[in-house]
This record gives sequence, structure tokens and C-alpha cells, in this order.
Amino acid sequence: MVDAARHPGIDVRAYTEVERVEGFVGNFKVRLRRKARYVQAERCNGCGECAKSCPIEVPSTFEMGLAPHKAIYVPMSQAVPLVYTVDMDACIHCYKCVEACGKLDAIDFSQEDEIVWEDVGAVIVATGYSHFDPSALEEYGYGRFANVITAMEMERLNNSAGPTAGNLVRPSDMKNPGRLAMINCVGSRDKRFNPWCSNFCCMYAIKNAILLKLYHPGMDITIYYMDIRAPSKGYEEFYDRAREMGVKFIHGRPGQITEDPRTGNLFVHSEDMSLGQALELEYDMVMLNQAAVPQPDVDRLSSILNISQSPGGWFMEYHPKLRPMDSPTDGVFLAGACQGVKDIPASVAQGAAAAARAGRILHSKEWEIEPTVAAIWEDRCVSAQGKRCGFCARACPYGAIEVKKDQPARVFTAKCHGCGGCVAECPNGAATQMHFTDAQILAQIRVLLADKPEGKILAFRCHWCSYGGADLAGTSHFEYTSNERGLRVMCSARMDVSMIHEAFRLGAGAVLYSGCHKQDCHYITGQRVGASRAERMQKQFDKMGMTPGRFRIEWISAAQGDKYARVLNEMQAVLDSVPKEKLLEEIESLRPNMSKHVDKISLIPDVNKALDYADRMKEVMLSAHSSEA
Amino acid sequence: MEKSPEQLSSQVSDLPGGEHLRMCYSCGTCVSRCMVRERVEPSYNPRRLIKKAVLDMRDEVFADKTPWLCSACDLCYPSCPQKIHISEILFAIRKLALDAGHTSPLRAPTVDGQTCVACGLCASVCPYKAIALKQVKLFGRETVIAVVDANLCMGCGLCGAQCRSASIGPAEAFSNEHLMDDLWQWLQA
Repeated sequence: MVDAARHPGIDVRAYTEVERVEGFVGNFKVRLRRKARYVQAERCNGCGECAKSCPIEVPSTFEMGLAPHKAIYVPMSQAVPLVYTVDMDACIHCYKCVEACGKLDAIDFSQEDEIVWEDVGAVIVATGYSHFDPSALEEYGYGRFANVITAMEMERLNNSAGPTAGNLVRPSDMKNPGRLAMINCVGSRDKRFNPWCSNFCCMYAIKNAILLKLYHPGMDITIYYMDIRAPSKGYEEFYDRAREMGVKFIHGRPGQITEDPRTGNLFVHSEDMSLGQALELEYDMVMLNQAAVPQPDVDRLSSILNISQSPGGWFMEYHPKLRPMDSPTDGVFLAGACQGVKDIPASVAQGAAAAARAGRILHSKEWEIEPTVAAIWEDRCVSAQGKRCGFCARACPYGAIEVKKDQPARVFTAKCHGCGGCVAECPNGAATQMHFTDAQILAQIRVLLADKPEGKILAFRCHWCSYGGADLAGTSHFEYTSNERGLRVMCSARMDVSMIHEAFRLGAGAVLYSGCHKQDCHYITGQRVGASRAERMQKQFDKMGMTPGRFRIEWISAAQGDKYARVLNEMQAVLDSVPKEKLLEEIESLRPNMSKHVDKISLIPDVNKALDYADRMKEVMLSAHSSEA
Repeated sequence: MEKSPEQLSSQVSDLPGGEHLRMCYSCGTCVSRCMVRERVEPSYNPRRLIKKAVLDMRDEVFADKTPWLCSACDLCYPSCPQKIHISEILFAIRKLALDAGHTSPLRAPTVDGQTCVACGLCASVCPYKAIALKQVKLFGRETVIAVVDANLCMGCGLCGAQCRSASIGPAEAFSNEHLMDDLWQWLQA
């Protein structure tokens, strides 16, 4: 930290809160609140005379409340920057500190919060994690039994710079504990509180046990665990070392801790799985390894930065395996436990990766994005005519569309990733996607269904998953019906209601609506936008009396070539099971219904031109067919 | 995954209350909380029974006394980190065992038909709804008395304590006579 503070290229803004982030990659504007310290940073030299003179004591958060600090304080002696701050909630305005500061004259009670706007090119979020409060687990008695402490309290008690100068004592009688139990998974891997594994606690308990054994070889230390998770380099060996040193391990999660009120000693009730036997063992002190949980203000930050959250509240990465340090918003990066619980080596690696990613942006004059971005036909957007709409903005997973009253919707091109969800959601055909315009796709549909459409299966595939699945079916030589006609869009969110209806209006035998599985979507929530639309259509078609199976929704990953082939063969079987005359009759009877949903498409720019072209192509194709015959 | 209906684990998880069977990761919290294990039967172990059920060990599960001993006090349920309602799983297993022809190993109380007046007090206090008033043939004539369903009875003895005519009560060691004898001996000692 000290190195970072001294670096000429790094500006550390401590005691400052980010309040707003506007703009896009390379061009962010950030509003910062520099909170009033009531001490002028450039004058304070960190001598601490003020704290010595201050008569007020407050429990120190850094010392886990085990020791006090004064009302004018630094959180810890290694704080960076080493500038004192007045805790105004505790200060009694005796001004003894002002006297003590003397000639330096650094203390300034008139200071106020300051709002600053800064231009930044990239943002790295590294806000870390917080600790679960184990008093919620009543059976362990934290808060009721003095000698049940948390891992962080142990950290301070066993630290030579801590409140006891490293002399490990138990809170009830200040005696050195001879028998110590550590309990893992307190509040984690627990459906009542936090279902996730907190990742580092196993190694953390072992570290604490080894450290204590080094200082106090005679201490009887037992770790209660459900599974020891020691997957990284050197970790298993560390676990070996703890056992060699005589740390005991009990395979079982304690169900209860009880206290002997006379001695303050604790009884841990558990079952040892290996013995298959219930145990009730006595200890002088118990340490709870509490779960790691997201920071309490994580929701606020996620809305400021427009980053979605994974279950539990961790920040969502762009891709869990390939891009763990990128957030879905370009130019915003994630480092450390705010993205998910991780230990120090993993946090350092992710932080370095995020810094490298940010460096790439800061060093480029231009930034390349995908060409398939969305755009708005401003004259067609009803928001410009004063109507309330906003379907496009709600569909956008990236917050790239802004809808203001009486103004056409606006796409921030640099934020757009090109899923096309907004285009399909727009009820007025006012949005379009470059290279996947309505005109282009409708023309493709017309040509694909040119000849004997009743025997064809039109398959809408998303670029990332089901298209890859179809590809794999081909390269793996999985046989499937030759009546399939594939059509690629970037995401299932782009598969417009009018496209499906148009396909059925043209007489398609069957239509497949396919895309990524929900958790694999490359556009965060794109698949969900597409899925809810497809389910709506399915209900509509069922109501119309369409033969079940003619419209099918399937989520197929790029690795599921076999599924792609199977689904299409099943669809072919549906078509085969209906007599041709009956199918044609059904198509005819549903056509007016289908036409209702596509009567507006000719109003969309370029659609008529593209369809004329498609019709000419169709004629050429059909005449070539007939001359062959 | 296709479920095979013959597997014990599927049968248990298909019954109401048994849905979460497979979520158990064997942490032993339930065992350390259990009063039955602590006070009645040291070999009692719901974790082990659930593990056996997950592994489809049908014969071992049905031979186990555990499902019959659980009194559904539900001390374990609020502590279970997987939110498994253990007593409901044990009751589901008990139902399957009954269907397979097994009977409860517990001794149910006996009713003295000659003194029972069918007042129904015992049936109203039974926490397990194991007692009902039924018409039976006794010494050649039809009469209504309390009848105990041995497979539902947990042997708590509430019925015996409640009965005004000493007509119903646990057998042997916990019968009125035995308890009185014990009390005398204890007073004389």
C-alpha cells in the first residue's frame, strides 16, 4: 500500500465514495464524495499527538471491538495515507486535539464533504467481501458465551500488534486457553444462510492452528470440518503439516455448543463421521470460521456501475471461465472477492489481470467493438412522439439504451454488445441491428421457404450455442433430417415474433426456436428475454389449435450436437405423423391469424426492397429446379 | 436423469416429506442434536440411515431401528444446514417398511378389554394418532374399546397416564405394577 501511495502514477483516494458512474468504455465520468476528515490531509504528518490528548474512546472496528480507539484516529498504525480523521458521532468538541496539533494547525472543524467529478478510462471494482455474523446460528452461542469467538477476533488476539500484544487469552477470565476448537463452515454451505463454500476457511483454520501450535506446542487444537478443501498448490501439504504437528481433525459438523457457566468452558456436541459416534468434548475456547458474504452495500454499487449480480450478491463476471476479470460492462473490471469468494493468490492474479485489461484501454486511442450493434430509426420511435414505451431499454442487458420523454430512444453504441434483444422487443419496428436487420432476416426466411414450405423445418439458431450445436452435429456425422433450414442470429433474444409468424404464414411445416441454455447466455439475460417471448408465442399457437410440436423451443449448447440432431428428427417425426392434406389445411386455416402479426413489417425501412429481391431469387431458384426436373 | 422407481432412494424422495433425501451431505449435525440417541439408544443414527437410503441399501434400511425410534421432536430440523426435514424422511421410510411387510420393533401398550369403557381419553391425548375406538368381538359379544395400532405407537406412555381405569398402558418394564414396585424399592432403600 505504501508503495502504491508513493507511486507517481497512482492517486490513492481514501475515505472517498463513488456516487455515480456515467459514460462508457474509455470515457467514464465518475462522481466522488470526498468525505470530511476534519483534518487537512496535506498538513497532517500522522504524529498522533491529537489522539493522545483526546478523552473519548470508541470500539475500534479494526480490532473487532476488542480494543478502543480515540474519537480522532487512524484505523490502524499502517494506514495509508497516514492522516487522522475525527469521528464526529463520538467527538464532544472539547478541541483538545486542536491544542495538541499546535503549529501544524491541521485540524479543521469547518471541513465539509466535497463532490468531485473525474474523467476515467476504465474502472476496476475491488471492494472485497464482508463477514457473516455468527450470532444468527443460535446453537453455537456466539454473543451469549464469552469464549466463543470469531476467526477475525482470533486474528487480533493472536497478533503481536493486537490488543493483547499477541498473548492469546480467552475473554471470560483472561486466562490462556489450553484446549481450543475451531469450527468450519459457520454460515457457509448452509441453506439457511449462505449456500456457497467460502473457499478459504479450511486453509485459514489450518493456518491459525499451525501458527498457534508454533507459539504454544502444548495447546490442544481440534478442527471440526465437513470436508477439507485444499485444492491448490502446496495446500494439501500444509494440511499434512498440521496433522504432523498434532492438530486434531474431527469429521463432523457440530450441532450445538453448551457452556458450563461456572468455568466458562464450552462443550462441543458433534458426531465424528469416521467413528460413527457422537462426541461431546470440552474446550476452553471455540473459534468460529464464519462465512464470507458480499459487502453490505453491494446492491448500491451494482446499480451505480450497472453490473448484475450472481446469486448471493457477488458481482457477475462476463464469462465464468474465459473472462472472470471482466464485468459485462465494457471498461469495468472485477478483482478479488467482490466477484466471488477467493483466497489471496487468486485475488492477486485476478487483480493483475484486471489491471492489464484496464491498461489496454488506457493505452489505445481507438477501441474496436463488434459491428453488429443496434441502432434506432428515430422517425419511427414512438417515444419521440411523446408516448411511453421503453421496451428496448428494458430488454437491454447492458444499459446501453436510454429512453427520455419526448425524445427518440438512444443507443450508446460503445456499450452495445449486439444481442438484438431491443430490436425484437420494439413493437414498432423502430430498432434495427446492423448486419441482422429485419429486411435481411425476412428475406432469408422467404428464400429458405421458397419451395414446398410445408415440408420444411425452419431452425432459428443463436450464434454462440445452438448454431455451434448444429455445426457439431454436422462434423460429428449425426444424421438428421435434410428438411431442416437453419437461420443464424446473434442471440435468441433477436428472434422476433414477426419472424416466427412470417415463417408460419409462408407455410413452414415447423419452426425451431433454439439458443443457449439460460446459464450459458453470452448476453447475460438475452436468453431470458428470448425464452419468455417464445413461451408467450407457444401459448398463442396452442390456443390457435396448432398441432403440438410444430413450434418447438429448445436450448442447445455448442457441445450438444446429438441433441440438435435428435430434436430435428423428432420434429420431422411430428411432420410425418400428420397427413399432408391435414397439414396444408391447418396452415391455410392459421394463415389469417399469422398475417395479423406481420402486417406491419412492410413499413420497416428496406423490408420491401429486400423482399422483392428475395422473390426474384426465389423465381430463379424455382426455375432452375424445374429445368433440372 | 431417468429415475428408476425400484430404487429405494427414488421411492423415498417421491413420498411427501422425502424430497430432500439426496441433499444430505453427511455432516452429522442431526446426530449431535438428537435426544433419542443421547437418552434412549446410543446406536440411533439418522445420518447413517439416510446414507443407507441414498445408497439404496434396502434390507439394511428396513432392518434399522432408527425410523421407528424417531419421536419427531424436530430438534434436528432447524439445525440442518441443508434444510432437510429429517423426521419426515424417517416417516417416509417407515411407511415404505410397513408397505414391505415390516412391523414396528417397539412394544405397543396393551388394552384390557374387560375394564376399558371406551371413554376415548387415551385416543385424544395420543400424539401419534395411534389409538382409535373400534368395535371388536370380546368373549363372544360385540363391544367398543380402544385399539392401538402398533405400527404408529412410539411407546411414550401418555395413554397409560391418562387412563382413569388403568385399562391401557405400556407393557413390562413400564407397566403400572413395575413402576410402583420400583418406587417402593426406591423409597425403602
